[in-house]
Amino acid sequence: MKSMAIIIRDDSYDKLLTPLAFAYLEASGGTQVDMLFVNWSVLALTEKGAKEIKINGPHADQEAWVRSQTEAAGLPSDINTILKALKETGCVNMYACSLAAKIFGVDEANLIPEAEEIVDASWFLHEKAVKADHYQYF
Amino acid sequence: MSNDEQRILDTSGLCCPMPVVKTNLEMKKMVSGESVKIIVTDVGAKKDLPSWCERTGNRLVSMTEEDGGVSFVIEKA
Repeated sequence: MKSMAIIIRDDSYDKLLTPLAFAYLEASGGTQVDMLFVNWSVLALTEKGAKEIKINGPHADQEAWVRSQTEAAGLPSDINTILKALKETGCVNMYACSLAAKIFGVDEANLIPEAEEIVDASWFLHEKAVKADHYQYF
Repeated sequence: MSNDEQRILDTSGLCCPMPVVKTNLEMKKMVSGESVKIIVTDVGAKKDLPSWCERTGNRLVSMTEEDGGVSFVIEKA
């Protein structure tokens, strides 16, 4: 597999871990990984938003435990640190969906430097997802 | 590192994706032909690291089951 495209929509901490771990794993094998953050997950591409990410729903009260287990497994427990590590592989590009950015208040000013840019979903679907060897949606 | 000194990467306790991530980072510090012994306790790595070697062209020299884990020797392509 030379390329993989991932679309992430959920911003719950536990639900972000899987796509980020998959991206980290594949990028470590040289696969080019392109990720589009849509809906609430776009906030992960801002410093403030990444810091505020919590576990939602029925597992909300287990957040401290999940974070400590994540650290014990060797991953940083902080989402922003994981995004920086992904970027450092040199094989991961992260994009913010323009509609999500508009709705949730993300712009060029608060987008983290590790993110490439704000793009239309159509561009990502046609230029990245369709052309990728593998595509995942979280 | 001298020629007779085995480079070792101990990932004991770490889980997927970290054994592969750390192996990849270690490889970046190495020169072609150099090898590293990687100690893992993550059960998934038994399949993951050989598959990673196949994808990246690095050579899996050996895989040895040990108490509580597995050790791999991988040679950088």
